[in-house]
Amino acid sequence: MIQKYIYHFLATLVANKRSALLLLLLTSLSAVAQTNTVTGQVLDNNNEAIVASTIVITSTNETVITDVNGQFLITTTAPFPIIIKVTMMGYVTQNVVIKSNRSIRVVLQDTYNQLEEVLISSGYSSQKKSEFSGSVATVSAVQLQNRPTTSFDQLLGGQATGVDVLQSTSVVNNTPVIRIRGLNTITSGLFPLIVIDGVAVFTGSLGGFVGNNPLSSINPNDIESIDVLKDASAAAIYGSRAANGVMVVTTKKGKKGKTKFNYNTWFSRSTPYNLPKLLNAQDYTMIKNEALVNAGKPEGFFLSRNPDGSIVDTNWYDVAYEPGFSNNHNFNISGANDTTQYYFSVDYSNQNSYIKNNTFQNYITRLNISHQLNSFIRVGVNTSYSSAKNVGPNTGAVAGNTLSSSTYNTEYITNEPLGRMTYVLPPNVPVYNADGSYSIQNGISVGYGANIPAVIGTINAYNLAMVQDLDLTTSISRSLLGNVYGELDITKKIMLRTSYGLNTINLENKLYLNPTHGGGAAYNGVATNIASDLSRTDWTNTITYNDTFADDHHVTLLGGYERIKTTVNSWGASQSNITDTYYNHYQGSYANISPIANELSENALLSYFTNLNYNFKNKYFLTLNYRIDGLSALSEGNKYGNFGGGAISWNIMEESFLKDSKIKSVVDNLKIRTSYGIVGNSEIGSYPSIGTYNSSTYGGAPALGYSQTANPNLKWETSSKLDLGLNFTMLNDRISVEFDYFNNKIKDLILKAPQALSAGIPNNYINENVGGMYNRGFEIGINALAINANNFSWNVNLNLSTLKNKVTSLVSDVFVPSVFGVQNMTRVGYSIGSVFAVPTKGVNPENGQMVFINSNGREVQYNHIGSPKWTYLDGSAAPAIDNYTDGVIQGPSLPKIFGGLNNTFKYKNFVLGVNLTFAQGNKLYNGTRATNSDQRYFNNGEFIKNRWTHPGQVTDIQKLYYGDNVSAGFSFSSTSKVEDGSYLKFKNVSLGYNVPLGLEFLKNTFSSVYVYVQGSNLYTFTKYRGSDPEVSINGNSINSGKDQNVPPNAQVFALGLNVGF
Amino acid sequence: MKKYILISWIIVLFTASCSDDFLHTQPETSIPEQLAFSTPEKILAQTNNLYKQLQNQSFYGGRFIVFNEQRADQFGQNDGNAATGSAVWNQNVASTNDFVNNVWSAGYTAINACNILISKLETTTVISSDLANNYIAEAKFIRALCYFSLVQTYAKPYNQDKNALGLPLRLTPVTTSGNNDLARSSVEMVYTQILKDLDEAETALPVSYATPLLNASRAKKSTAIALKTRVLLVQNNFEKVITESKKIVSETMPYQYTEAGVTQKLEPSFSTIFGGNYTGSEAVFSIIFANSTTETPSAQYSLAYNYLKQPIIFLATSGIVSDPALTLSTDARSGLIGTSAANQKVLKKFSITTAPFRDYVPVIRYSEILLNYAEAAANMNDLPLATSLLKAVRNRSNPNFVFADNEIATKDALIVNIQKERDIEFLGEGLRLMDLQRKVQTLPAKQGAIGTAPLVLPTSSNYIWPIPSGEISVNKLIEPNS
Repeated sequence: MIQKYIYHFLATLVANKRSALLLLLLTSLSAVAQTNTVTGQVLDNNNEAIVASTIVITSTNETVITDVNGQFLITTTAPFPIIIKVTMMGYVTQNVVIKSNRSIRVVLQDTYNQLEEVLISSGYSSQKKSEFSGSVATVSAVQLQNRPTTSFDQLLGGQATGVDVLQSTSVVNNTPVIRIRGLNTITSGLFPLIVIDGVAVFTGSLGGFVGNNPLSSINPNDIESIDVLKDASAAAIYGSRAANGVMVVTTKKGKKGKTKFNYNTWFSRSTPYNLPKLLNAQDYTMIKNEALVNAGKPEGFFLSRNPDGSIVDTNWYDVAYEPGFSNNHNFNISGANDTTQYYFSVDYSNQNSYIKNNTFQNYITRLNISHQLNSFIRVGVNTSYSSAKNVGPNTGAVAGNTLSSSTYNTEYITNEPLGRMTYVLPPNVPVYNADGSYSIQNGISVGYGANIPAVIGTINAYNLAMVQDLDLTTSISRSLLGNVYGELDITKKIMLRTSYGLNTINLENKLYLNPTHGGGAAYNGVATNIASDLSRTDWTNTITYNDTFADDHHVTLLGGYERIKTTVNSWGASQSNITDTYYNHYQGSYANISPIANELSENALLSYFTNLNYNFKNKYFLTLNYRIDGLSALSEGNKYGNFGGGAISWNIMEESFLKDSKIKSVVDNLKIRTSYGIVGNSEIGSYPSIGTYNSSTYGGAPALGYSQTANPNLKWETSSKLDLGLNFTMLNDRISVEFDYFNNKIKDLILKAPQALSAGIPNNYINENVGGMYNRGFEIGINALAINANNFSWNVNLNLSTLKNKVTSLVSDVFVPSVFGVQNMTRVGYSIGSVFAVPTKGVNPENGQMVFINSNGREVQYNHIGSPKWTYLDGSAAPAIDNYTDGVIQGPSLPKIFGGLNNTFKYKNFVLGVNLTFAQGNKLYNGTRATNSDQRYFNNGEFIKNRWTHPGQVTDIQKLYYGDNVSAGFSFSSTSKVEDGSYLKFKNVSLGYNVPLGLEFLKNTFSSVYVYVQGSNLYTFTKYRGSDPEVSINGNSINSGKDQNVPPNAQVFALGLNVGF
Repeated sequence: MKKYILISWIIVLFTASCSDDFLHTQPETSIPEQLAFSTPEKILAQTNNLYKQLQNQSFYGGRFIVFNEQRADQFGQNDGNAATGSAVWNQNVASTNDFVNNVWSAGYTAINACNILISKLETTTVISSDLANNYIAEAKFIRALCYFSLVQTYAKPYNQDKNALGLPLRLTPVTTSGNNDLARSSVEMVYTQILKDLDEAETALPVSYATPLLNASRAKKSTAIALKTRVLLVQNNFEKVITESKKIVSETMPYQYTEAGVTQKLEPSFSTIFGGNYTGSEAVFSIIFANSTTETPSAQYSLAYNYLKQPIIFLATSGIVSDPALTLSTDARSGLIGTSAANQKVLKKFSITTAPFRDYVPVIRYSEILLNYAEAAANMNDLPLATSLLKAVRNRSNPNFVFADNEIATKDALIVNIQKERDIEFLGEGLRLMDLQRKVQTLPAKQGAIGTAPLVLPTSSNYIWPIPSGEISVNKLIEPNS
């Protein structure tokens, strides 16, 4: 100790160059107090220098920080071995033992779940995570990079607790299903609020049959972090818009240091994963003829021959699908000096699904600049522009155009969709005639080959090749998103901020159906163009007061005022009866035209809000939020709603009684928190409360009809959210754990409350505040640096969430009647949108008939050619099975447990990432299997060969009767097609290599080079018999868990490169 | 200083922006409820809308007529897809079937529109009371037609059990929630209401409108009377059928009805009823379409697509299509029977097979009044009159046809031949099911390309459609059909 003081004293003297004598003295003394020099460089995983990391010599507390090259130098009197502690925000702290004065190289492992120092953004302000009391999951740039995709939301699956993402189709740029802590409404909007740099953006699906996810206008490479605000305390600042949770996306800013250039690129190949196995031509004719003969008809299916004499055995999958190749190029420049930060990027994506003709092209550019004008004014702009083009056939997988609302897909079952066609088209008919033309029977039927029309009836399946080639949907969107802001420091403690945000999307949707064959044949060709302008402006003003009293009381108070206006302006027309087959655009010439999709609507939100954060000694934390929202959509007197929430948390490890506890050597940090609040849902359309009449014509004369029933009492739907949480980190932050319990209760649901059909109300619903439900569950997030050896590290991240949803009150069941059965039922006492089906006992071994159990518990069998068709087992007539009255809820369509397990292994320069996702406890309706069991001309699955053929045979496939679409769960839902949807999926596996830059020419050219190969959707462990249990043909909807007739998910392999200059 | 100027400016901007009507947005593409009856033009448009409700493609605009034919015995089903009504043809529909829901919903939506209009016009000062009464009478006609259509579809036939459960009778407007629960009135009560509406409509309706198009498409005095002949025939109230028929059928040949501005009689050529201007003298009441895709039904909902274009259903060889009247060219009606690519007999009455499918849909034709009258007369033993009316219809299409004596000699034979004439005359127009059920006859088994549909006994639960799931799940007082 004394030696140290002497040394310091002398060093000071030397520095001041007082005298040569002292220099002499120093030299002599240094023999006593030996000085050592420790030098080195701190780097991240990508071999990039870490600037401003802290190096502390643990024995002496001597501290330096690294320079712009990540290099440091400490001269110390401490003897070797010297232990240094290297710390940097966002990285795992590392202790290094230094035995000699050789320069060392320290590589810090980044961490994305660290309790300390990560900033959480609420969109209006940001806070250190250690001071944050709410429940939030943060997804960092690391988790989003190097994963080929069209939009960032598709990457969130398995990345954060409480966030359930389903990538439900392979149509490129389709909107995934995103649920934060379950479904929080029934008929209002179901998407979480997504705020990008302070602007609430449009969500949903905009492009008709080809999807078109508006979030594709954000380049995932530009994202710095995504904060998912889950509980009321975190989200309450968003008041009426927070019911489904909030995702706050922050884009990248330039960092101080030298200007950085990055180039990222990837190339990928996608193929369908796990297509159902269908019958070949021979088996098809055998099975179908057997069904015909069983039904008392002659054989009608026969093999046909190609010109070369071979048997026609068409694999319609090969017609529809081929490997899709995609590539993406991204270039960004960033940097900062003392007054200006800048970030600029350009991105080009050219993606092709394995579905032929399904393409997506996107150009995105972004510019983020912030500038310090003077000592008290800062201004900035964050802006991005994208121009995207989605093209594709109608696959049946896209539920249709929706802005934020719940959807029901009616397209999957129509004649046009490609997915259905691949399943139903006969394999014994050719695609092309000998002359190369498409083989068609007429406008609506594929060529019959050798099959006999009079016996087999109408094949109302189109020639897939022809409609896939000619009938295309196009959706072009041009999107501008950004904000400009200014900040003014009134005093050092009071800051005023104003921000004007804008999200506009110019959308052009086109559909062309050819006049010869397919859905356009009856109309002699149809071309539809719809242009839409979606616009949202958001002007926010906040004032922030930040102060510390008596050293220990830290207060931040925020007050704000916000005006948001959303307008939708859409117009279009459909032309039919083409004048000449030469035309294939709307602008060609047609005989008939009619208006379509005209819409002009606007809604406004006017809000006042305040937020208080109080922190005592970094031990006790308090957060209060209060927001008043006025929404134009609600009626006079009910427009304003009050929302708010609060949270408290306690940082136990800061307590003095633990200061010397042994726990401290294990646990670094322990925080207990609780929050409660009330939020709402404003995604209820623009005019839900007023009564309206719509105009049309009858015989060309004006007609005016009742179009919406008023509800002047319509008021806010509110969710009360309770959260209890616990965070701790252990072993020098090597392990961090986050645990939450949540209970969201929703009441006064704004429901499109079904009215008795006999009331004759428009659309048979009235927007009413009826019903309630809850979502409860636990969430656990564990992040651990399991192994951190010299050359090898293993980081594991587990996030697991449980969910129990229950509808507690409703006026009546909510479901969609259909000739194809009711697969989802929302009923009091059960989980929302539960899977619903009529109980099936199986096949009667005596006669091969499918036996169902009706609501009286009696067994009823179905004989397609019988009279009566429905009988009890004794043969007496029974009432027909009715899907509604005999149906029984089979289980939730939402998983009870879901999450992800993400591993990162690093060995020297290699990085291996293994991401798994899982879900458990949900039911699926395997409607594709119902289609593949159907006894019309439809092709069938290989499994059909197990059909019942003789008395006494025990099987699950009934005796086949031609025309039977009842027994197998096609025309009403049957438990024979209800399956367990649990799965464990290798979602993403990647292997990367940091190219060493030892060679002189590399070193001077690049600052980092990283190459990787990557595979997604590699393998799924599941009992589900369909292609993929990660499916929802109804998109983001309460009617989830249904799988029918859609192309399966893709398996994608990619090769990528990141280069830094 | 600069700093404080800036701050004051921001405060001014902030306060200025707070005082406006930012939250008061109005829809610009629909008309607010309180204005919906505020001008004579809007009230006329509201009246036109009642017919627009009938024009619904699930209802008289197309599909309801097809469903009635699919349930009856004259057509075989080609297409096994549920979306083309294969389950309807198979006599196997569930309460969750959307067609079962849609027809009921379309009918009641029209009924509510009528109830709203009636209630609004009872107190209106925007138009004259004469005009208001005219519109109210049109609403009553449409309400009667809707109840009549629904009671036949979802309740037991009047002649089978008039005390059976009928329909929820809604006669007052519903414009708020809380009106879901209403029990079913008896079949008889529904029929009583239908006839009451039609009697009141007859009194207040005008004899005619300004143009043939309006005469065919809007209810006039004779339209209400014509519908009464059908309703009363379904009740076997032959006496009153005759009373009503006499109002619109002259005592002597050629049978016709002429009043100021309107003449209703058989058209000389059968084919021009369907292929001509659609608004000739035979059109008592039709659903009309402007040449626009905004009014016309989509493909699967249109008559032409179902009967001819695809065709989804074809004429069953065991049915009336084998009658010489439809096989021999001596009868003009055979000209509207064609042959499909699959060599099936198909109906060509509705021949516009490319969208827009704008063939007008005949709801009541003058020939039906003559045959209603004939059947009533035969039942009342006025065989000469009955024979004469029957011949009028037959000889219009086949002038040289002579009924054999044994076909017209007895009441029973005459009734059989009148029914046969109806089957020939109205093939594909949706009347066959009504004729089977008013006589409480078994719906016969039938053959289609997709298999065999079994016969349905009048006692079977599927003799009528189930009450739809959308009603059962919400209306706590409704009793399902068992």
